[in-house]
Amino acid sequence: MITVTINGKQIKLEKPVSILEAAKMTGIKIPTLCHHKSLEAYGGCRLCLVEIEKMPRLQASCTQYVTDGMVVWTETGRVVEARKAMLEFLLINHALDCPYCDKAGECDLQDLVMKYGPAAGRFTEGKRKHPESYDDPIIVRNMERCISCTRCVRMCSKVQGASAISMVNRTSKTFVEPFSGGRYNCEYCGNCINVCPVGAIMSRLHKHTYRPWFIEKTVDTVCSFCGVGCSVTAQIRGNSIVRIIPESEKGLNRGLLCNRGRFGYDYISNSGRLKSPMIRKNGSLQETTWSEAFMYIAQKIKEIKEKNGGAAIAGVASGRCTNEDNYVFQKFMRLVVGSNNIDSIAGFAYAPARKFFEKIFGQGVTANPIQGISRSDGIFVIGGDPTAINPVLGLQIRAASQKDIPVATVGYAPGLKGFAANRLIPKPSTEAALLAALLTEMLKRKPLPAEKTPFEEIIGKIQPVSLNEAESACGIASGEISACVDSLSGMTNPALVIGRDIIQRSEGQANLLLLAALAQALNGRIYLSSELPNEQGLIDMGCLPDMLPGGRPVAVDSFRKRYGEFFNAEVPSAQGLSLMEMVEGAHSGNIKALYVMGENIAFNIPDNKFVKDALSRLELLVVQDIFTTETTRFAHVVLPAASWAEREGSYTNLEGRMQHLKKAIDSVAGLEDWKIIAEVSKVLGVDMNYRDSRDILAEIAKVSPLHKGVTYEDMDSGECMWPYKGEPLRHDLNIVGIDMPDMKALLKKPEKDKVYIGVDKVLFHSASLSRNSFALNSIYSEPHAKIGKNLAAKLSVASGDHISISTGAGAIELAAVIDSDMPDNIVLVPNNFEGRGAFRVMGWKMNAAFKAPALDGMEAVLKKLERVSAEVSE
Amino acid sequence: MLSEKEKNEIETELKQYEHKRAACVEALKIMQHSRGWVSDDGIHDLAGILGMTPDELDGVATFYSLIFRKPVGRHVILICNTISCWVMGYNQVLRSLNERLGIGLGDTSADGRFTLLPVPCLGACDQAPAMMIDNELYGDLTPEKMDEILGKYSWERD
Repeated sequence: MITVTINGKQIKLEKPVSILEAAKMTGIKIPTLCHHKSLEAYGGCRLCLVEIEKMPRLQASCTQYVTDGMVVWTETGRVVEARKAMLEFLLINHALDCPYCDKAGECDLQDLVMKYGPAAGRFTEGKRKHPESYDDPIIVRNMERCISCTRCVRMCSKVQGASAISMVNRTSKTFVEPFSGGRYNCEYCGNCINVCPVGAIMSRLHKHTYRPWFIEKTVDTVCSFCGVGCSVTAQIRGNSIVRIIPESEKGLNRGLLCNRGRFGYDYISNSGRLKSPMIRKNGSLQETTWSEAFMYIAQKIKEIKEKNGGAAIAGVASGRCTNEDNYVFQKFMRLVVGSNNIDSIAGFAYAPARKFFEKIFGQGVTANPIQGISRSDGIFVIGGDPTAINPVLGLQIRAASQKDIPVATVGYAPGLKGFAANRLIPKPSTEAALLAALLTEMLKRKPLPAEKTPFEEIIGKIQPVSLNEAESACGIASGEISACVDSLSGMTNPALVIGRDIIQRSEGQANLLLLAALAQALNGRIYLSSELPNEQGLIDMGCLPDMLPGGRPVAVDSFRKRYGEFFNAEVPSAQGLSLMEMVEGAHSGNIKALYVMGENIAFNIPDNKFVKDALSRLELLVVQDIFTTETTRFAHVVLPAASWAEREGSYTNLEGRMQHLKKAIDSVAGLEDWKIIAEVSKVLGVDMNYRDSRDILAEIAKVSPLHKGVTYEDMDSGECMWPYKGEPLRHDLNIVGIDMPDMKALLKKPEKDKVYIGVDKVLFHSASLSRNSFALNSIYSEPHAKIGKNLAAKLSVASGDHISISTGAGAIELAAVIDSDMPDNIVLVPNNFEGRGAFRVMGWKMNAAFKAPALDGMEAVLKKLERVSAEVSE
Repeated sequence: MLSEKEKNEIETELKQYEHKRAACVEALKIMQHSRGWVSDDGIHDLAGILGMTPDELDGVATFYSLIFRKPVGRHVILICNTISCWVMGYNQVLRSLNERLGIGLGDTSADGRFTLLPVPCLGACDQAPAMMIDNELYGDLTPEKMDEILGKYSWERD
């Protein structure tokens, strides 16, 4: 026990902390400019100097740790005089342009000078000059204001792991610069903006648009982009969000954000937002009133239901909608329409993977806290680049790597280059062979315990694959594979981060089985990457053809009955269709009506042409969205929805954490998705009777065994993790229906001269929503096709040359970007930009086990286009 | 692109250290020795070998005033610019260099022959005023000695 006295207050501490921290615990604030709690102590600014009895000199409290019996004074005359001197030095060169600087009002330096500072400096020399830099679309640098605290540089290298900026030059000419001074060309996380104590690095997006004291209210909410669900604070002025900043004290992101979360919010104020309901009349969509739209939809649904039955109607839910929206949606589909045809994009990869792992390990096995990644003793990444899909989760991996925790990546994960000790990049679609070899070797070194659980028996039946067999299949030298096994076998409780690329395959189930076996052998924790903010919520709320809210299977009579009794209605027992089956059904004519809530299926499902063809055959297509999309163009009725910032509700992130989404601004035209559905339901004769989202959550808390008694207040109070207040559903594990993979078939090599097309997950975009963000478009405005250097050489293509990529489904023309780490016979194309998405030319095969599209083996023909090449940077 | 010679020399340096980045100053010196200065492309190439980002390496390169990030003349004159030399006639020496070469501090002569840079102390106070050309120290300078000294670095001598 350590006893310290700070300013006469005595505190007792279990373990030594810095004086700065100890003072904070007692409520004493010590000023500092270079210290930041996301960063290691630096001791550069000398403003946190304090007087310690029995020590002759003043000490920096950020680097000095407390010892037993220490007596500290933080505001003595000596200390105040020293701080004043430090500030006078800083003001030698700091531009005194506070009236013009946007930081004024929230500037640490300004506040400190007001408190301690000299009213006038004694230096008569001129201040250094350095023009403000507008070279970058997002970040403005004004280095005349920089005080060289190096917070931004340390943030960039130690936390973000990008090392995109550094202190260049020396003495009074030291500035923070991205390399060669121009654009940042970095990950644009903006965390440097966040830690800058002065106005040296600022966001260009709201420059000179407001001052900190103009902010009328702040709303603590959740980010709308990926499945991590970072806590953010929206600052609002005049019913518009002027800035999004991270919550430094709470939330799993602890003050960090990615480019999408920090800058991408501006889509909500895009002038292209849908403003009025529209009905198709005489072949074109025409504005109408809400009531007419509700009447029309209800009438059509009634007709189709009477004529073809409820099973001819299907619904697509959305991972961008809240739990409340999705709950009401599935209730509407099941109880009002009478159909189990409910699914979403989550059904393509996230839901089947989760279901598969839960079948083996029990419910909630993928619900692991993200913060645990950097605290594990090893990390295994496969199926996508977490730093692009879930950037803040990716930072956990980088943080672990900086602590020398071994990281192994399988596949092309450019964001982890330099962080992964073992980096295995197999040929396209040969991961199964590699995984099997890793498993075989692991089991040789660490045999499973002999108690023989049912799953261990299954693992025992997996055919072994030797290192040589794997080498010839996936093209990775056996030595490299065995080095990876060396690293894996040293891990006792690693994190396995699994992305969708490995799941959306014809051999997806085999991959998952091998990963489950590997997780068992390594005693690993599974994390599923999730591209949308509420994919987990879609599953929990029963937006799956075979699941009721709370993870209860529809097929079990007693669950269906209990659920029906609660509402005094009947839950249909017929097996529902998956999203891909719905599209096929629409194409073949079995599905007559499709109700789409917040999803752009004509763009986000592979083979756009087929999907559009299917949509055009529908008798009724209702789309609720916030923008005109490829899908709304086929709709009979389009209903404007409220955006993420304009509604209340909850999101459940990939860890199973429920978070409260708060209404930040009023919607100009759109209604909450649940409200639209409730209105349609009312016209159809079922009054859902919700006043607000609280009523819906209260109902969820009664219906779902996983959400017993949960309230927004519970979510606000912090940790609201799986299984919330409810009961965990640890049923007896009965592992049936797992097909044993045929290893022989999986060892076959991809045909040599063929080139395959895959989806590139771009850090700066998120499905088709982000294209409406001015900020994100200014960072990444054009889609590129990424190819490896050998393929580029074969086509004699240089970076920036245009290539055409053609498949059976069509062709697109894109500028090429060459990345030497990519495997030879694959081209990666992002699926974000209208008319130029990967899914325009990518076909699919049905994965029978998941009833979802498999995207492997999609051949493409690449050709160089002769035209003046545009300058393209990655 | 690094030349074979540069590559070999850097590889030799890399072997001396546990962490690659520890060899960054040596690598910069090797490149400067063979090219006279370190360009942006040079920083890119070196950063690749050293496992650093270009920004990190640029931070190091710009910290050291004797790593040149801009082109310099064939020979670099470092004129000592501190108290002992000021007292002993620095001004006259500097003026004579200015006149003979037609350049001021920080400039390169029109023929690309010399770059004149001030340096805070060469540690040769006993011979003040002093200057250094490439790695050669010249002390007890007077304007009269300049012709002879600069003559050693004329085109004809190369």
